[in-house]
Parts: sequence; structure tokens; C-alpha cells
Amino acid sequence: MEIVEQRQPDLLGNGLRILKSVGQSFLGTLKTITSDRLGALGLILLVGFALVALFAPWLAPYKPFDVMYRANGAVLRLDPPSSAHWLGTNNIGYDVFSQLILGFPTAFAVGGLSALGSVLIGTNVGLISGYFGGWVDQILMRLTDVCFGIPFLPFALILLAVAGSSLQNVILVIVLFLWRTTARVVRSQTLSLKERPFILAARAAGASHLRIIYLHIGPNVLPLTFLYVALGVASGVLLEAALSFLGFGDPLTPTWGQMLNGAFASGATRQAWWWVLPPGIALSLFVIATYMVTRAYEEVINPRLRERY
Amino acid sequence: MGLKRFLLIRFAATLFTLFAIVTLLFLIVRLVPGDPTQMFINEAVWSDPAAIQRQRELWGLNDPIYIQYLRYLWNLVTFQFGQSFTQGISVRPIIIDKLLNTIVMMGPSVVLMVVLGAVWGAVAGWRRGSRFEQISAIVSLATRAVPSFFLAIIVLMIFSYNLRWFPSGGMVEAGTNLPFLQEIFSLDFLRHLILPTIVLVLRGANESFLLMRTSIIEVKGEDFFETLWAKGLSEPQVIRHAIRNAILPLITYIAVISAFLFEGQVLIETIFAWPGIGRQIVTSLMDHDYPVAQAGFFLTALVVVSMNLVVDVLYGYLDPRVKY
Repeated sequence: MEIVEQRQPDLLGNGLRILKSVGQSFLGTLKTITSDRLGALGLILLVGFALVALFAPWLAPYKPFDVMYRANGAVLRLDPPSSAHWLGTNNIGYDVFSQLILGFPTAFAVGGLSALGSVLIGTNVGLISGYFGGWVDQILMRLTDVCFGIPFLPFALILLAVAGSSLQNVILVIVLFLWRTTARVVRSQTLSLKERPFILAARAAGASHLRIIYLHIGPNVLPLTFLYVALGVASGVLLEAALSFLGFGDPLTPTWGQMLNGAFASGATRQAWWWVLPPGIALSLFVIATYMVTRAYEEVINPRLRERY
Repeated sequence: MGLKRFLLIRFAATLFTLFAIVTLLFLIVRLVPGDPTQMFINEAVWSDPAAIQRQRELWGLNDPIYIQYLRYLWNLVTFQFGQSFTQGISVRPIIIDKLLNTIVMMGPSVVLMVVLGAVWGAVAGWRRGSRFEQISAIVSLATRAVPSFFLAIIVLMIFSYNLRWFPSGGMVEAGTNLPFLQEIFSLDFLRHLILPTIVLVLRGANESFLLMRTSIIEVKGEDFFETLWAKGLSEPQVIRHAIRNAILPLITYIAVISAFLFEGQVLIETIFAWPGIGRQIVTSLMDHDYPVAQAGFFLTALVVVSMNLVVDVLYGYLDPRVKY
């Protein structure tokens, strides 16, 4: 009797179990990352970045698109750093420091959304493809192959040129590009997991396909998906910066790529280092920090890598 | 499965991928609202419906969508890219010129990054745990994280704007009008080539470094390696054995990196004002010159997909452990 009762679908219980396993993996991971020196440094940097992003509206002294004026009423163009404008102004008279600070929340939003979106798609494609095999696998994997064949940057540019350069479209394009790696990796993991005894046991006990995929296999690929979320954040920010730099980003959102585009397109790179270096350095530091954390994390989930640097 | 069958399947898969990409492009351009004629006809004519009809008829936009699709496929297969909207001449010669320019920029970089990266990785892997290896690891991490376009701007700021050693962009001095071959063997061309090459090599050498380093470390752990020492071979002789083992993945890597770089040319060529295919795609899109952009994209996809095929085939040939 008891066995029959346990088999009743218990949505809340299942939800809690998933949440709990997510939480446990998260805490365990945090501990192992901080035990690595570079990993800890990366984490500290990222927390710092997150704090700046969180308090950006209060930290930025001016609005990102407010034009600054001199005492005589002239627009303050390409003014070098001063006490009033810590990182000077750009060619239109915007305060560079404020733009830089307001690029932080955008970076997290773009990186986070593109990472979550792509990993959500990639994990599901990988799980379903690996678990069911056969023609489902064939179709999904050929689709993944096609995505691997697309030259991303040119394709994204055409897409944005035709569909319009809103931030939403930029993120969508990045998601379209990023899910492919996660799908392949999760699929191969699923292929080996589904032959393990505990999965066979679950099947023998009469568990449904969905239950096996999301409750038995899913938690076991979670560590991998965490890795791809983190890597996805870095890639998302880099790709957005590249697209914005080429002039296909959202002109109404202050991003680091947008700042670099403005500096380069206006030819100000020649003299206005204060407009070029800050967004570039912020971008690089953000990505380096993410790489340091993921590198430490990779060693945790794949002990064989410990042999590498 | 025999080698022949493997090759055939890979080739078919490559064709399918290319077909899917091209179809996707067609769908996207058609699904998005807006009329391409609007981009082409100037505003004075735009108000005249008869002129619009004539243009639509000329371009075959009044035909059913599947006819348009088949015509589109046929044109791509036969390399008929139509007329440029802005330059008024055939797209094919324009885009082939740009393709050549991209290839002459990438060629030397690919060779340099593979060779330099491999030597760097071999030394680092051989001296495992040394100061050199630790610094190398950090440098490698940094070059992967710094976006290529920011790296390019920094290189420009230092070597062109400040030191004035090299020109800031272009392929040759403005106004030079030489035949292609004469042009690319001139000193002037070399001066223009150096800065983009530095950026590409800094970016790409890192991958070949990682590959060589891991290979060397792996080989050092194998049993046959102990035998080499036991046989009394000198250090250079042993190193040669180790490198020979690592050379297979390195060769396939050349195709991987070429495909990767080819996509990224969009950025590098824009920054160095290099008249290649990547920059052409960007400027054509900015000018709404869609036939040129489309042809540029098609050729880029063709190169990338072919490179992927080359990787697969090389793997099959070079590594006997790969089963078809």
C-alpha cells in the first residue's frame, strides 16, 4: 500500500526536492571554488561587480544621457578627467563615469538573461535528445549541427539589421547561438547516465519518462549546467559588446560595447583614452573574473582537469 | 563503416547544414515585415505605385514564395549574387576581391599563431610547474578574456597613434593602384599587415598553446615515455618524440581556428579598415545593400562549414582510433 501511495504525483514535494538539490549543489560548489586562490579572487571581483550593478543608480553622479555644459554654456566635449567628471566626458558631452557605472547592471542583465535562456534550451534539448535517442535524437542533433555551422557574428548582424537593434533582439540572437554547446554536452552526459543502475531501477519501478528525465537525470547534469550558465554570462556580455561595438546594439541602453563603439566610430580613440580604457577594462575584468570562477569550478566537477593548469 | 562511407556521410551532412543555414536566412529576411523595394527606390519614385510594381516585377517579388525560394537557392548555387544596390555593379567581383583580401590577411596569422603557440605550449608543458608555466597560464587566461576588438584598439593606440610606427588602417597607402599580386608583395602592404597580425596572433596562439601544453603533459605521463629515457635518448630527442605525438590534434586545429577567425574578421577588419569580406558585410548592412551582405554571409558560411568538414575528415585520416 505504501508503495502505491508514494507513486502519487506530488508536485509540491517534487518541486521542493529539485530546489533542495539545487541549493545543496550551490553551497557545496561555493565552498570548493573559494578553496582555489584564483577562484576566490574571481568570486570577490564578481561580488564587487554585482554590488556596483545593484547600486548603480545611486553611484552614478549623472544620468547616462545628460549633456554636460561649461560655465559659458558651451557643451563640455571630450573633457579630460577632472574632479567634477572623474572619467571626463565624451564627444556629445555625456559623463563617461556615469555611463560606465550604468553599464554594470546592463552587463549582468544581458549576461544573465542570455546565459539562462541558452542553458534552459540547451539542457532540455540535451536531456530529451540523449534520453529518447532514435529519431528525436537525430532531429535535435542535426539542428545543433546546423547551429554549429552558422558563422555567428555575420549572421547576428544580418538578423539585427533586418529585425531592428533592440536589446531584446540582441539577447535573443545570443541565446540562439549559445544553446548549442550546452545541448551537446548535456546530451553526452545523459547518454551515459541513462544506462546507470539507478535509472534502470527507476524505470523498473514504473517512473514516467518525464519523471526520470527531470528528477533522476536532471539533478545529475545540474553541475554541468551551472558551468554553462557561468560561461554563458561571460560569452553573453562579450557578444553583446561585439555587436554593440559594430553598431548593431541597442543605442538607447548604456553598455560598455556601446561606449567603445562611440569612441571608435567618432575617432576619439586617438586622444580620449578616458573614454576608451574604462569600458574595455571593465569588460575584460568581468570576463576574466567569470573565467577564474568557472576554472575553479570545472576542477570540482571534472577531477581529471586538475592535472591541467 | 568504411572510410568511403564516412566521407560520404560527412559530405552529405555538410551540404545539409549549408542548405539549412541558407534556408534560415531566406525565411528570416522574408518573415520580417517591410518591403525590400522600399530600401532601393528613392523617395521621389516611392510615391509612384506603378514604379514600385515595375521594380517588384523585375525582381520577381510578385511570384509565389516557393518560386522565389527556388530561384534564391539556384542563384546561390551558381554564385549569381545579383547587383549591388549602392554600387550598381555585379556583386560577384566585389565580393571575390574582398574574399581574397581577407585570405591574405589571415594566412600569415594562422601560420604564425599555430607555430608560435605550439612552441610556447611545448615549453610550458615540458617545464610543468615552473615559473614560466604559471605566468604562461595567466597570460593565456587574459588573452582569452580581453575582447579582440578592445585588444585591437589598445594595439592601435600604442603602435599607431602614440609611437606612429604603423599605419592605423587600410591594406595599402591610400591612392596606391597596383595589380593584386604586386600589391601584396610590397613593403607598404607588410606595414599595414603587421598590427592586425599582432592582434590575431595574440588571440589565436592561446588555443594552440593550450593544445600543445596538454598534449605534452599527457604524453609525459605515458609508459612509452619512460622507455625513451631508459633507452638513453637525450632530452632533445625525447622532446621530438613528445611533439610528434601532439602534432595530430594541432593539424586539425588549423582548420578549427581558420573557421573561427573567419567569422571574427567582421571585428578585426572593421577596426583596421581592412577591405575584406567581414568589413564588407558590416558596411553593406549599414548601407542597406542586402545583395552584397547576403553574398558575403553565404561565402563566410561556405568557408566555415567547409573548414568543419576538413576537421572531421582530417580526424578520420590522422587518428586511427577514430571509428567511422
